Amino acid sequence: MYQITCPHCGPRAQTEFTYERTTDSVVDPAGDTHAAMQALYTRANPMGLDDEIWRHTYGCRAWMVLTRHRVTHEIRAVKAIGPEALP
Amino acid sequence: MSGPSRSATGDETIPFTFDGNTYHARPGDTLAAALLANGVGLVGRSFKYHRPRGIMTAGIEEPNALVTVGTGGRTEPNTRATDVFVYPGMVAKSQNRWPSLSFDVASIFGLAAPALGAGFYYKTFFGPAKHWMLYEGFIRRAAGLGNAPTEADPDNFSHKAGFCDVLVVGAGPAGLKAALAAAEAGKRVMLVEQDAVPGGSLLRDPDPAIDPAAMIARIKALGGEVLLRTTASGYWDHNFLTLTQRLVEPGAVPPHGFAQRLWHVRAGRVILATGLIERPVPFANNDHPGVMLSQAVRSYVRRWGVLPGKRVVIATNNDDAYLTAEALVAAGAEVVALLDARAPGSGPTAPAGVQVFYDAKPAKVIGRKHALRKVTAVIGGSEHSFDADLIAVSGGFVPVAHLHMQAGGKLTWNEAAQAFIPGETPQACETVGAALNPPSAPAIAPAGKAKTSFVDFQNDVSLADIDLAWQEGYRSVEHLKRYTTLGMATDQGKTSNMVALSRLAEKQHVTVPEAGLTTFRPPFTPVTMGLMAGAGARNAGAHVRRIPLHSLHEAHDPIWQPLGYWFRPRAYPVNGESLQQAALREARTVRTVAGLSDVSTLGKFEVSGPDAAALLELVCATTVGKLAVGRGRYTFMCREDGFVNDDGTVWRLAENRYLLTSSTGGADRMAHFISYVRNSLRPDLKCSVVNVQEHYAGIALAGPQARAILASLIGAEPPRHMGYAPGVLAGVPVHVLAASYSGERAFEIHVEATHAAPVWQAIEHATRAAGGAPYGLEAMELLRIEKGHVVVGGEVDGRSTPHDLGLGGMLNKAGGFIGAAGLTRPALSAPDRNNLVGLVSLDGPIPEGGMLIQRAGQSPQGHVTAAARRILEGGAIALALLQGGHKRHGEELIVTSPTRGEKARVRVTAPHFYDAAGERYRD
Amino acid sequence: MLPAAPLHALEIWSNPQAVATRIEKALGFALPVMNRSAGNDAITLLRYEPTVWLVEGDVAVIADTLGDDGALTAIGGGIVRMRLAGPHWRDLLLEGGFFDTSAAAFPAGATAATVIDHVGVRLWAESDDACIAYVPASYALSLHHFWDEALPLLGA
Repeated sequence: MYQITCPHCGPRAQTEFTYERTTDSVVDPAGDTHAAMQALYTRANPMGLDDEIWRHTYGCRAWMVLTRHRVTHEIRAVKAIGPEALP
Repeated sequence: MSGPSRSATGDETIPFTFDGNTYHARPGDTLAAALLANGVGLVGRSFKYHRPRGIMTAGIEEPNALVTVGTGGRTEPNTRATDVFVYPGMVAKSQNRWPSLSFDVASIFGLAAPALGAGFYYKTFFGPAKHWMLYEGFIRRAAGLGNAPTEADPDNFSHKAGFCDVLVVGAGPAGLKAALAAAEAGKRVMLVEQDAVPGGSLLRDPDPAIDPAAMIARIKALGGEVLLRTTASGYWDHNFLTLTQRLVEPGAVPPHGFAQRLWHVRAGRVILATGLIERPVPFANNDHPGVMLSQAVRSYVRRWGVLPGKRVVIATNNDDAYLTAEALVAAGAEVVALLDARAPGSGPTAPAGVQVFYDAKPAKVIGRKHALRKVTAVIGGSEHSFDADLIAVSGGFVPVAHLHMQAGGKLTWNEAAQAFIPGETPQACETVGAALNPPSAPAIAPAGKAKTSFVDFQNDVSLADIDLAWQEGYRSVEHLKRYTTLGMATDQGKTSNMVALSRLAEKQHVTVPEAGLTTFRPPFTPVTMGLMAGAGARNAGAHVRRIPLHSLHEAHDPIWQPLGYWFRPRAYPVNGESLQQAALREARTVRTVAGLSDVSTLGKFEVSGPDAAALLELVCATTVGKLAVGRGRYTFMCREDGFVNDDGTVWRLAENRYLLTSSTGGADRMAHFISYVRNSLRPDLKCSVVNVQEHYAGIALAGPQARAILASLIGAEPPRHMGYAPGVLAGVPVHVLAASYSGERAFEIHVEATHAAPVWQAIEHATRAAGGAPYGLEAMELLRIEKGHVVVGGEVDGRSTPHDLGLGGMLNKAGGFIGAAGLTRPALSAPDRNNLVGLVSLDGPIPEGGMLIQRAGQSPQGHVTAAARRILEGGAIALALLQGGHKRHGEELIVTSPTRGEKARVRVTAPHFYDAAGERYRD
Repeated sequence: MLPAAPLHALEIWSNPQAVATRIEKALGFALPVMNRSAGNDAITLLRYEPTVWLVEGDVAVIADTLGDDGALTAIGGGIVRMRLAGPHWRDLLLEGGFFDTSAAAFPAGATAATVIDHVGVRLWAESDDACIAYVPASYALSLHHFWDEALPLLGA
């Protein structure tokens, strides 16, 4: 089980988080059909670092992007996403 | 062995039984020590051949002495006799024997050993199927370990989180030292030891300079946590380890109700002080009772005061076994020979009176009545026999690198010790102590007959099986493992892997590291299922989610329906009604008078802010923005690929405040989805989405009398269809939503859950006074099927589009919602898609889940999603998804359910069987 | 279990600094930072989310400060408050948990949202002798039973 450093809560157990998708599979609601299908069905799937969207669902409920190594499971970076927030 | 091997001192105060016989143990005895002390040498029968087996080790690596401990639901099979401490009244039984341990009919199979050799199962599978059918029964009876208990385990199992800077595994000399040093440096320390007492090898080879008890006391005084009877069984990502702790011994009644605990530990750094396991030596009949590992013999003698033999042969390829000779001699045993496989002069000085033979190795042992009688050795090329009742063997040492490997660590080969040593690891983890420095122990070619020279004792794999696998072309160690089942028993090959690898390397003419090594996987020692389940061992693993009015419903003694984790009333039978009778009565009451129902589990989201409508227009596939304050509408949400995700209603409560409902089952999914859209896609929107599913209890009031009943309760005219109005009912503020699921005039009354009881009671009272009644989920299902309303999880099955469900006309023409792009794909509105239709039976009931065909032998063209009967008139109806169904109204089809053996002729219709125009609730 | 209390979710979606200043002026104390609490006898604010505060008490004074930058939503009906009192509350919360409740990691005054025995709960370390758990109402009895069963293990 990973330890993920939530940008808002610090290091927490993976149990509290849910994986959403990689950043390259985000569908732009304003985009066209082709772009949507590209995002949904043709992701890069690298054997190495990838940017993934996760949510601290059972913690602060906030969203973040993890730069995670898909072989070693090393988490290189975590970046908060979401509305502007106070510290 | 004959007779007790320990003189009574009066400390033998703990009674226990083994196979029905009562014995006595001393405090601190393992079952193995107590059995040996009481002269019980035969404790089990082997897996395949039912060969008599005794106690080979003194630790968790024991492959032979597997017993069943405990009774009833606390029965624990395959417990290692060396890993259970005797407690008063303990009941232990031997396994895999019939009718008794000493006279076992199946041991005759031992004679058939060649037939059950390596690859037996595979070969059986390749033969004709009927042969397997024949073998199966035989194998199932003959091969096996203990039997699983049939009663439920009455005990609790704890899961607990642990956090530390330094986790030390193993409380031997190295572990104690490391833990104390970390504690003294101010670190938060956890020290775990699988034994009941700390000390590790010190319990066998005491060192006056090291006092484990004092060190433990010091570590605790510094705030460290010391867990005994605790095994680090799994090493996972990011320095996360699982520990299994025995709170009481197997089968014992726990005073606090908990038998075991599974620790989830996150450690800053891990120090593995896991030591060594001794390697057995392959020779003929080396699995016989009376063949024991050298260090185990020393442990029994020194730690437990048990002498497992009086005339002992020692066989070794290293210096360590000389210490066993010392211990035995000191305890009064006769060491009749010390066989040292190395060249003359290799070992240290033997104790006085012990004759050392060099270039000497055991070739076979002979036993009688399950006791050892004679050891035959090859000394300098010629055979010599010794009368002996015990042979203590040492084939070298294997570092316990399991956790290191689970952590992703590498191993390096130590030629002198013929052992893999823990090397680099990608995690914050290091190995200390004996595991890094195993004693020198050269490779020795086995001397005995291969067929009965066992390697994997638990799975009955001998040198001959490895040879056979080699001969049949299995070259890779992974193939060898699977073909012979080597190392796949409950001990995961702790004593067998290195012996087998050596043989494979020998066959391949390569070095051991070139031959390869199989992967160590968690758990390090077997873990019981109850421990894995934790508190989830009860209630099928799940919490029960109670609706706010649970106890009010309970008073009506309803039939409860589990719905996810929720429990909802399915029907409220009266006067001995069946479920179907009650549901039909309730549905008729709704159609003719009025009924009330609990809809509290619906997903509910309050969306507020100037951009609330903008967010809802993105989430919902229907238009929302034009909704006037005080109005609502049906809506549904799509996934990005265009398929329907969930449905519900959306209401504009105030200028900048909306209420969105979703299905019960979709509530959590929608909460996550809306959060994704709001925070990840549109963090710029000025809005707030709050999940109020549990804040509000929901009560549906439906039926021709519903409006009148509600008007009397709120003292005002209720809102017209799809209208919203706040109100006060029974003195409690409520939201009244006029929406119909049943097909009748209907209202949803949402009230803060903590104040819901008086509201329900008032509505129930008024409804009953009008001749109505409460109705449950079953009646709701009859009502909605007749009305043709879809349900998420039924008609909305993740493969249906708005077009399929007849909802295409409601789509937001302007687009811009999630799923709009996906929906434009031509295949999503292809004419042969499965469309929602109604079915009217032309004969009997329509089987639920049945397939739709035109004639026998045809591929299914669709399936029945929900079957019911007309509530007032009778006659079977159903909803179905049918290929090209929109254009097939009027067609006759067959519904067939081969699994139920049911069939019905049906006519395809529109999916509305009742008031298709909605005249009963529209204003 | 504690009696039902008025609970609201306060969410600020724009101009957070300005809103924080207005609220501080109205309340007499600052909005708590992430995973901390702040309050007085009349009102307590617990921060569990970047943009959301759980407010216990009368919210009228806050409502007037929000303008178009935020909203209050009532959520008290769906939450049961339980007080875990006594010297072993930190230990009890490790049962079925994954969150470090030690005084160093979770001092008095801190808040945290986490999972206990598969249920999402929000915790507030009221003091070193007591912790308030905000539990989804539907799970409250079940979780209460879970804690009740674990009590004999504490200090053992």
